[in-house]
Amino acid sequence: MTYNEQRNNMDTDFAIRTGGLTKHYGDLPALVDLNLDIKPGEVFGFLGPNGAGKTTMIRTILDEIRPTSGWASILGMDSHLESVAIRRHIGYVPGDLAMYPNLTGRDTLTYFANLRGGVDWGYVNGLADRLDAELDKKVGDLSSGNRQKVGLIQAFMNRPGVLIMDEPSSGLDPLVQREFQKMMREVANEGRTVFLSSHTLSEVQRVADRVGIIRHGKLVALEFVSELRSKAMRRIELEFDGPVEASVFEQVPGARDVTVHNHHVVMSFDGNMDTLLTTATQKYHVIDINTQEADLEEIFLTYYRDEEATT
Amino acid sequence: MLANVFTKTTLDRWKGTAVAAVSLALLLLMAMAVYRDIDLDVYAGLPEVFRTLMGVPESADVASLGIGVLYGFYGAVTLAALALSMGAASMAGEERDGTIGLLLGNPKSRTEVLVSKAISMVLLTAGGAIVLWASAIVVSSVLGVSITGLLVGPYVIHMYANALVYGFMAMAIGAWTGNRGLASGVPAAVMAISYIAVGILPLIEGWTNAAKVFPWYYFDGSNPMINGISWGHLAVLGAGIAVFGAASVFGVNRRDLRGQTVGVTLVDKLRANPLTRKVVERLAGSTRVSKIWIKTASEHQGLLIITAYLMFFVMGILMGPLYALIDETMLSFADQIPDALYAFVGAGSGNMSTAAGFYEVETFGLMAPIAVMVVAVAIGSRGLAGEERNRTMGLLLANPITRSKVVLEKAVAMTLYSLVVGFATFAGVWLGALLGGLDLAVANIAAVSLLATLLGLGFGALALALSAATGRVKVAVYTTVGIALAFHIINSIAILNDTVAGIARWTPFEYYLTSNPLSNGMNWGHGAILAAIPVVFIALAVFLFQRRDLRQTG
Repeated sequence: MTYNEQRNNMDTDFAIRTGGLTKHYGDLPALVDLNLDIKPGEVFGFLGPNGAGKTTMIRTILDEIRPTSGWASILGMDSHLESVAIRRHIGYVPGDLAMYPNLTGRDTLTYFANLRGGVDWGYVNGLADRLDAELDKKVGDLSSGNRQKVGLIQAFMNRPGVLIMDEPSSGLDPLVQREFQKMMREVANEGRTVFLSSHTLSEVQRVADRVGIIRHGKLVALEFVSELRSKAMRRIELEFDGPVEASVFEQVPGARDVTVHNHHVVMSFDGNMDTLLTTATQKYHVIDINTQEADLEEIFLTYYRDEEATT
Repeated sequence: MLANVFTKTTLDRWKGTAVAAVSLALLLLMAMAVYRDIDLDVYAGLPEVFRTLMGVPESADVASLGIGVLYGFYGAVTLAALALSMGAASMAGEERDGTIGLLLGNPKSRTEVLVSKAISMVLLTAGGAIVLWASAIVVSSVLGVSITGLLVGPYVIHMYANALVYGFMAMAIGAWTGNRGLASGVPAAVMAISYIAVGILPLIEGWTNAAKVFPWYYFDGSNPMINGISWGHLAVLGAGIAVFGAASVFGVNRRDLRGQTVGVTLVDKLRANPLTRKVVERLAGSTRVSKIWIKTASEHQGLLIITAYLMFFVMGILMGPLYALIDETMLSFADQIPDALYAFVGAGSGNMSTAAGFYEVETFGLMAPIAVMVVAVAIGSRGLAGEERNRTMGLLLANPITRSKVVLEKAVAMTLYSLVVGFATFAGVWLGALLGGLDLAVANIAAVSLLATLLGLGFGALALALSAATGRVKVAVYTTVGIALAFHIINSIAILNDTVAGIARWTPFEYYLTSNPLSNGMNWGHGAILAAIPVVFIALAVFLFQRRDLRQTG
């Protein structure tokens, strides 16, 4: 594809776009033929297990590393040729965030504000209040969660059009995580875009509109969160007042790996909850139900079993 | 013994030691090959102090000259620097990297960890010493040079003990403070001052014994290559090792470990004080982070202060009165020393019988370029690769700035600091000459200081280009230092051999002191060549840094 043809694809209607984006480290394909369109006003969750290629994708679109083939654009600008212009409009939280240990949080923000220009300190202080961040301590003396807060503020502080964040909530306590999720939603509600790379399904489910799932460098699913949630595997434990038979539960559509220990049933389940409960209560008396959201790994193992078999 | 800590430390470090020792062996081969072809009669009849100073044993022959000159300075300093870096990294390095907590999460005491690291340092330094010992024997036999009567073994043993003193000194400082910069900086400064003092003090009547205060004296003060092991001198070095070793164990057990945290500096205290906050806040806070180059400069201010102070006070001011104190009879002998001999110590064709020659040998021959290089290479190598190693480059480049701007701002900080060190040298020598009543033209002092600055800056720019090309701090530092060392040796012996002289023309040292700028004033042609080198490498750094993927970790 020529550059002009590529440019035609870099429609400004999209916050982030990639076309056939591929990155190899030597012989190792870290990212394979990634095609992605993310619209303004969207919170996009980018999911995948460790080493799936999430960070490689982010580093490629930020021009930290260069694609082996394919292209990427942010706000209609070429990720390599117009990278400086792009960076005027983005906020970035790298994964495994590191900052300058000798600078205080405020020094760090001042440094980046000087490089960037146009930062409203009233807004910065507001962000610091919301996240309960300590800006007058040296970054090296902060706990990892408090360091992460400084990283988040620097990404949000210039009100970027596109926020690109790689595992941003690591180390944050639940209260701060909740506030941070609110901040992401606010960004999207203002028509700005959030690209959130994560392996925490619960967080993505809470804030994202749409998710992409990447495995071995390939995009294996691109879905709305509402759909993903309905398909998500759950781990279900049922406690009865007497002994039960495994065969009863194995017949329920969507039940997998059913194990029975006397009064106790454990299974993986992605079927209709109503059917399961009806089956259970028809024959036995249920004392307790415990259901857990399956983690990402389980979704991969079950939901994409077919995809794995074909490849 | 804590086998795993020992093994890991040793495996992490053996390559550097091996590369350094083998490089020295190759340089020895080159030097000896050159020495083999020259008539050594010129060295007969030199006063003993000069022979000691120049590393020339009494019965000068090819082997003793080659080994003495190459090992007496380059070998001894390299071995000591290797031990020193291992000592400094032992405890303080793990703390800087934030790995000490993980390490001590295992059921091992701090003492055990430290002892394992100490054993690794002792054995690796021994390995380096053995390579130097063996290569002296192999090189002489390959070249058919007789080493009968030369006691290389005892000489290397002295060199080894000397190196360990600095290694354990660094380990002790690291163990007490957890500050790696301090742990490598202080012993390095002690080593530099010690080397200079041991060279100069014996030249001054009545001050000969003052040299015994400095550890370097016990390395070759007894001339072990000719006289064999001096058990008394070795005992002094051994006592130093024991004291620093004990201090390390005591020090590491008495304090809080640093978990990748940062110490409280004077500036921090002033910032916390309401009276001083406003002023300090501007200087240390908002000003420090106003530009990339200012921030880069502020990160290296400790190194700059130490280096500039050494050059200004010790190598500048002190040298003037010292020269005035040197015995007249010594100076008349100095007049007779052949240029080639000065060439051995990297002093161009300096001549100690004049104040200009003395300063060219002592201050400008080695120390001034080294001082500028230390600062310039530190900034050049860490400027780009350091930010990649510390994982801050991604965050920095997420701002709307080009990669070229980052490289150029780092280069600005490097150039500025090189100029400061050069100026400190100039000011020190000028004041020293005034105090000693020496006849040195101010313009000439400025000229040679500028040339030294450009020379050192050139190597800093090389380190910056390597840093830009590879993203690895160690590659940038070791390659630059290795090249500088080889160039310096080539230049030192250029006067002795036409082929080497031909090669030397391609090294920057050729354009530094060969025109005797302290006596003859600025050689603008040479200045232009030395100025072009940093420009070329900085441009190369800009080009290379734009083209590659950023590294994710060091």
